[in-house]
Amino acid sequence: MRRALPAMLLITPVAIGAAYSAAAAVGLAGPGARGFTLRPTLAVLSAPATWRSVAWTVAVGSVATAIAVALACCAARWLLRRASWQRLAVLPMAVPHVAAALAALLLVSQSGLLSRLVYAAGLTQEPAGFPALVYDAAGVGLVFAFVWKEFPYLVLTAIAVLATGTNELEEVARTLGATPRQAFWRVTWPSLWRGMAPAVLATFAYLVGQYEMPALLAPSDPLALSLLTYERSVDPVLARRAEAHVLGLLALVLTAAVVLAHARWSYGGEEGRS
Amino acid sequence: MGRCEPARLRVPCGVHIRQPRPGVAVLVLALCGSVACGAPSDDGTPTTAAAVAAAPWADVVARARGTTVIWRMWRGDPAINRYVDGWVAPRMRSLYGVEVRAVEGQSAELVNALVTEREAGGARAGTTSLMWINGETFAQMRSERLLSGPWADRLPNAATIDRQSPIISRDFEQPTDGFESPWGMVQFALIYDPARTPAPPHSIPALAAWIRAHPGRFTHDQQFTGMTFLKTLMYGLTGGVERFQGGFTDHRYRTGREHLFAWLASVRPSFWRQGTTYPPDVAAMHRLFANREIDFTMSNNQNEVVTKVRQGILPAGSRAVLLDEGTIANAHYVGIPFNAPNPAGAMVLANFLLSPEAQVEKQRGDVWGDGTVLDPALLPAPWPARFAAAVADAAALPHDELARKARPEVHPDYHARLLDDWRHSIRQNAP
Repeated sequence: MRRALPAMLLITPVAIGAAYSAAAAVGLAGPGARGFTLRPTLAVLSAPATWRSVAWTVAVGSVATAIAVALACCAARWLLRRASWQRLAVLPMAVPHVAAALAALLLVSQSGLLSRLVYAAGLTQEPAGFPALVYDAAGVGLVFAFVWKEFPYLVLTAIAVLATGTNELEEVARTLGATPRQAFWRVTWPSLWRGMAPAVLATFAYLVGQYEMPALLAPSDPLALSLLTYERSVDPVLARRAEAHVLGLLALVLTAAVVLAHARWSYGGEEGRS
Repeated sequence: MGRCEPARLRVPCGVHIRQPRPGVAVLVLALCGSVACGAPSDDGTPTTAAAVAAAPWADVVARARGTTVIWRMWRGDPAINRYVDGWVAPRMRSLYGVEVRAVEGQSAELVNALVTEREAGGARAGTTSLMWINGETFAQMRSERLLSGPWADRLPNAATIDRQSPIISRDFEQPTDGFESPWGMVQFALIYDPARTPAPPHSIPALAAWIRAHPGRFTHDQQFTGMTFLKTLMYGLTGGVERFQGGFTDHRYRTGREHLFAWLASVRPSFWRQGTTYPPDVAAMHRLFANREIDFTMSNNQNEVVTKVRQGILPAGSRAVLLDEGTIANAHYVGIPFNAPNPAGAMVLANFLLSPEAQVEKQRGDVWGDGTVLDPALLPAPWPARFAAAVADAAALPHDELARKARPEVHPDYHARLLDDWRHSIRQNAP
């Protein structure tokens, strides 16, 4: 019972919000509510735009998370015994997401610093010859900004995991004759991954719901899920605002599914060991 | 960002949320609601604006003294914020003993916030006393019964409002019925840089020719300004705004949409990024224009070119141009919500915003450049001359040209339908 209390404290606000959203999604609360209806739910679930949006958001979130994790793992091994460099590596953490997105605009847009440098170096005919990296359908600029912003959080986690003895284990493996590659993939990586999985999931779930950075960097088509949700929440047709709640719940289901999958996977792992 | 921050919690909690994810907003609201932050009314008894308005004006002023007005408005422009916080607020304090606190709250989001407040605690949960609204939001708030009134015609300064102007007396064709008080008027204009574009197009066909001759140098944003541009084109391409007046009909809308979408299809391949993506908002438009990625930006305010050049956001020398077919003008208003804790203070503020002092200050090019809703001819000297001199700037458009080319907004359903169809048929449908 005592253990259940913190969990309850964590879950209750989410549950209240989700319950209200569920009520608003079926026309029982919120602006434009006129009694029970499944129209908003059906409209959202049957719209190809919804699934394009979900697919794009999940893809961009996954790619950004994967790149950030890979970079963090590599960097963490190097940073483990370099305390002053660690401080530099976590610097982006202090930068708000909006500021980071604006910085990305300044840096990688077609009129940005990078474009001007490339132009000055004579590599492009005109600044507009620089590839479109913001508002682009591939979300390159957005992934870049996501990675930069999430890297410190993941690198700190990776350093913490390595510091709990993983690094020593790798050294032991090496003295026992493992090649560096074997030592990394057989010893370091499994324990790194196990330790980092919750942080990786948190990053992915966060990026799926991120609003500020897509608002500044994402294309208008496909629309990021958070932008689509916001558009619906201020729709000029009040009855359609319920669709924002459906989309919000869809995002909740999406991230909850990933978390549950991880819980089952790691729980299964525990069982397998015992 | 924008959640119930501790510093803001002191005043009202729920309503400050501008977190764009409704799930989160609702959740925070629910939490705030459960900690009981009902709106304390000034004398304990909330009174509706209509009831307050029935009293003699001197009583309203007396009732307002010593109170605070929470005014929710768009806070995205530093120039407007400076006018409100640095000019209006000190005068309200010294003249009427009313504390004005302007806080963020975009009108489309205010509808959601007010509905949630009503669900959370009925008329007692109110925190906002005055709101900046217009058009579709006014229609939504009327249909959801979120506005208090009538009160606006009781303001002493309402006597000098320009009642002849069809743009002020009707908000998107809806009679205001005293449920909102006008405080500014703006007109859509394209903005260009004469150094880059010495001969800008002055008509819709000329604009199309220009776009085709300059591929990749023109676009519009996805939000209100972009939609105003598209509506302006729709009127112009379909034989004038008159064809759309007198309420919404599906047939008229479809005819207008056909003309507009055909025009867009013919120029879109020459849009910025071939029309496959559109800037998120007008701020992004200004950025692209200033960075020379595009050659036109646009604004719902004909004087934005004056103020934004002075702020250094748009390149020096930028100019505004109106299309000969006419451009959309609309007024913006202030309204009092049904659960306002301080309607008397809100009315005193609304009245002050209509004073010639406040209107002329607001119109100045180095302040905001927001057009007046008063008829200067109804005011004693020296006011007419002061209004004429307020936007003395080389970039300002002449008053008679603005008046000649101003076209009113039509029923909000045209806006809603066009926005939806544009998103589905054009934005989502890369060529």
